[in-house]
Amino acid sequence: MLQSYLPALVFLVLGGAIGGAFTLLNGVLGPRRPNPVKNEPYECGLPSEVKRSFRFGISFYLIAMLFILFDIEVIFLYPIAVQLKAFGVFALVETLVFIFLLLVAFVFVWRRGALEWK
Amino acid sequence: MSLSIPLFIPLASGLLAMLLPRGAAWLARQLVLGGTFATLFYVVAMLVDFDSSAKGLQWVTRENWIETLGIHYSLGVDGLNLFLIAVTALLFTVCALWSALREWDRPRLYYFNLGLAETAVLGAFMAQDLALFVVFFDLMLVPFYFLIGVWGRGERVQATTKFVIYTLVGSLLMLAGAIALGVLSTPDGGQISFELADLQRRTLGHGTQVWIFLLFAAAFLVKAPAFPFHGWMPDTYRATPTPVLVLLSGILSKVGAYGFLRIVLPILPGASSTLQELMLVIAVVSILYGSVMAFSQDDARLVVGYSSIAQLGFITLGIFALDPKGAQGAVIQMVNHALVVAGLFFVIAVIAGRSRESESLERLGGLALRAPVLAALFLIVALATLAMPGSPNFVGEILILFGAFDEKIVYGLVASAGVALAAVYAIRLYQRTMHNRVGPDVEPGDLSWRLDMPAIAPVVLVLLALALYPQFVLHRTEATTTTKIAAAAAKSHQTPGPDRTASSAGAPDQSQK
Amino acid sequence: MILPLADVPAPHIDYKGLSPLIALVGGTVLVLMAALLRGRFVQRSLLPLLTLGTLGAAMGLSIWVWSPGDHRPIVESALEVDALALSLSLVFYVAGIATVLLAHRSAALSDAGAGEYYTLLLSSVTGMVLLAEAANLITLFVGIELLSIPLYVLCASQVRRRASLEAGLKYLVIGSVGSATLLYGLALIYGAAGTTSFAGIDRALGDTVSLSDPLLLTGIALACAGLAFKASVAPFHQWTPDVYQGAPTPVTAFMAVATKAAAFAIFLRLFDSALLSAQFQWAPALAALATITIVVGNVGAIAQDSLKRMLAWSGVAQAGYILAGVVVGTQKGLEATVFYLLVYLLMNVAAFAVVIARERVSEWGDGMRALEGLGRAAPWLAWPMTIAMLALAGFPATAGFIGKFYLIDAAVDGDYAWLGVVIVAGSMISLVYYLRVVAVMWMGPMEVRLPSLPGRPRTAKPVGGWSPEADAWAQPEVTLVAVACAAATMFFGIWPNPLFDLVADVGTSLASLVG
Repeated sequence: MLQSYLPALVFLVLGGAIGGAFTLLNGVLGPRRPNPVKNEPYECGLPSEVKRSFRFGISFYLIAMLFILFDIEVIFLYPIAVQLKAFGVFALVETLVFIFLLLVAFVFVWRRGALEWK
Repeated sequence: MSLSIPLFIPLASGLLAMLLPRGAAWLARQLVLGGTFATLFYVVAMLVDFDSSAKGLQWVTRENWIETLGIHYSLGVDGLNLFLIAVTALLFTVCALWSALREWDRPRLYYFNLGLAETAVLGAFMAQDLALFVVFFDLMLVPFYFLIGVWGRGERVQATTKFVIYTLVGSLLMLAGAIALGVLSTPDGGQISFELADLQRRTLGHGTQVWIFLLFAAAFLVKAPAFPFHGWMPDTYRATPTPVLVLLSGILSKVGAYGFLRIVLPILPGASSTLQELMLVIAVVSILYGSVMAFSQDDARLVVGYSSIAQLGFITLGIFALDPKGAQGAVIQMVNHALVVAGLFFVIAVIAGRSRESESLERLGGLALRAPVLAALFLIVALATLAMPGSPNFVGEILILFGAFDEKIVYGLVASAGVALAAVYAIRLYQRTMHNRVGPDVEPGDLSWRLDMPAIAPVVLVLLALALYPQFVLHRTEATTTTKIAAAAAKSHQTPGPDRTASSAGAPDQSQK
Repeated sequence: MILPLADVPAPHIDYKGLSPLIALVGGTVLVLMAALLRGRFVQRSLLPLLTLGTLGAAMGLSIWVWSPGDHRPIVESALEVDALALSLSLVFYVAGIATVLLAHRSAALSDAGAGEYYTLLLSSVTGMVLLAEAANLITLFVGIELLSIPLYVLCASQVRRRASLEAGLKYLVIGSVGSATLLYGLALIYGAAGTTSFAGIDRALGDTVSLSDPLLLTGIALACAGLAFKASVAPFHQWTPDVYQGAPTPVTAFMAVATKAAAFAIFLRLFDSALLSAQFQWAPALAALATITIVVGNVGAIAQDSLKRMLAWSGVAQAGYILAGVVVGTQKGLEATVFYLLVYLLMNVAAFAVVIARERVSEWGDGMRALEGLGRAAPWLAWPMTIAMLALAGFPATAGFIGKFYLIDAAVDGDYAWLGVVIVAGSMISLVYYLRVVAVMWMGPMEVRLPSLPGRPRTAKPVGGWSPEADAWAQPEVTLVAVACAAATMFFGIWPNPLFDLVADVGTSLASLVG
């Protein structure tokens, strides 16, 4: 049974070996001529103002989370839509219930002001 | 006659008292007093009506209570519990009377607990189902927990907690033992039953009997209290208010001894005979320890308290002599001791009332001339305590000693020393309080005919009546006590051999008829 | 490229059996939408009424679905309605109703928003019902997550109190670890048995799968640990006192009774049904856990001064008692477990109701001293608390006595007599802390000394610190819950036969135990 894992192991070893080899080669062979500008995090544009204590506003997380939730849930709709004929009326009704529940959640989120940027 | 009526009248009156509106709280005492009186009348009627030739139970009530668990609401009276019920009803009435003549903080709660206590104690005495017995046995603790903890004095909360934990540890062990008894004695495919009659008919392996016996003994000996299990006694006795102490020492302590006769000996005959020696040792040690402690105490209450340990040692001795005379003596002694202790504690309370609430023998003395009536009553009770010939206690103790001499002469001889010791502590108690020079705390004054006499007089009168005519009790108890110990006695006489279980199955059946 | 599938048949759904769940989900949606309306009436009255209505409707439907001895597979055997599921659902509904009433004046409502609060509560109840009806590993896990996630939030719902937030976070972290462990265990069990359905696992264990298969045993051990987290069984109980104390008290009450019942529903389904053939493997381990739990819980409770912490530790101990019913793996054990869960609901809710009533008005909060002199000042609260404490300690004439009796009976009957003795020993220790509560309420000082001129002592009866708001009837709904639960505790202690009839139905519901 363990034999079936052999390709995965080979793949893992090869991947590690090739990736490691290139990194190593780069470090050994590559030319290095550092100057102050080159050492900055961004080579172009304004110097970064970000401090270590910087935090993203909570709204970022909220919106991101809501996006992921709705996004993932909507993905469920595609396979059903594609195979709706095979699934029949039952699946259609189920999907409608599903969409209705999503809608309820959406209305709640919207009316509660979670979509407003504060 | 239905036993449920006297059983539940006190509780019903207590509940009514509890539900009275705040303004009508004074009615509580009348209600519960009426309840205890009604029960007493009912029980007196039972005494008259009792058929002393019948061997079985009378006035049986038997209903299914919890069918799934095989628990029945099963009550019955025979010679074994008849007088214990009677003395319970009497002492509760007397204590309710004593309480009603005094003011109590939170009267509704007090009288409710009194009513509940009476129902619980009567229930434990009447129950003919093991689980029902356990229910009432544990239920007794609730009202006493409150009665001591709320209306006691000194370190009352600590004392009552100690009391309840000690006794409940015992009774929880008994609960486990009772359930094990019920489950393990159920034959394959049979319906589980906790009815005592059924349990008696079913058999149990010897090893199982022994460990179940020990669980039961733990509960009963703590309650008594017997020698190594009496740790709760001093604190509790000091903290408990007088009428509650009368009940605690007079009635509650008997439930354990009663349990041995009602449950342990008939149902676990094998273990009873195997462990007979152990119980006898506990009994004799209790007698000696209690007596010695009793005459070295300064607190009058503790003198009586330790003397109770000795007296209960006698009772245990009588039971585990496994002899008809001993068992009968034990039953009589239970009744006598309840009456004597009640008298002693009431007298001590009266004395304390005349001497700035002091109960220390050091500070008392010389009351006899100032309180002749009190001294006379005290003398009667004190003489009964030391089992003066002519007192009912004499009958009880002599029967117990006869039983012990017949079966186990060594223990009988040692126990006889206890009789002599009883004289020492009883007379010392009487002398220190009544004679000698007048103590520093003593104020002149006899007992009050209005406040004290109504409670003390009935106890002393019944004591005198029993002294004059002990046959009244002997005659009614003889038939049943003999059958209760028959199985265990048969076991202890027969030589150990392979046919142990066979005869233990046969013996209880005979006693059933 | 799209390959057209052959027609997939619609799954068979028993809508009657599903109706309580439908009612719960519908109610949840309704409450969530109603929460968007503004106005005092909606927020203060309509929302709780809707929530109560939903729970009441679900309860009515559950009773309607009830038929003794029935195994009704619904939704293609993913769920199964039987007496066990329905009786435990009743526990969840009653706990939910009590929580709504107890939370009526809670600060958490205005902090977190009433609508959110009730919605989360209803979702949690939905998860519990789902859990109780679960018939395979997948629905089990869905149910357990649906019940846990809302509870994490509810714990933290008193957002202005640090302790509440801390409790929420703690519960989230530890609960997730528990869920993960459980999930891993379930996956291994699936790996060993090759099926997710409980009935299938039961069949496979007796047949194709060796009972000493390490995959299976590891799976059982992990699942057991995960469930122990949820049921606060020692040594996985450490979160319990902190979370119980920190969470808003109505939520604590809900967790204490409903979550515990739900966790035991799974213990019963998983161990006494799916894994019964492996009883020889898991029973000693569970018995050991039960023993540790009883000892640890009771000893832990002794030194507590906060009532909520004390009840938390006592809950740990009680979980140990209940576990004894699972260990024996008999019909009687199942009945005793469910019986105890039912009475545990009554006595615990009564106790928590009194704690809630007092902590809102007393300067001592949920400390023991908040109850001082309660017997004199507010007998309507003191009696329920007294009855609850005596019942938890197992005094007769209360349902707690009968429950314990039944558990010990089942333990002895299932050849675990020593476990019965452990239960008894635990009850002995528990007296110390239960009686302390009673003593504080009734046995405080009779009189208080007042400042006075020398030689003329003045005393008064202690009623100080009692404001009009402290009156028992200033919060009628809380007092009502306390009195009703305490009365039921007494009633079932004296006349338990209705409960016995109910659990007799339950006893037949796990096919593996019958016959």
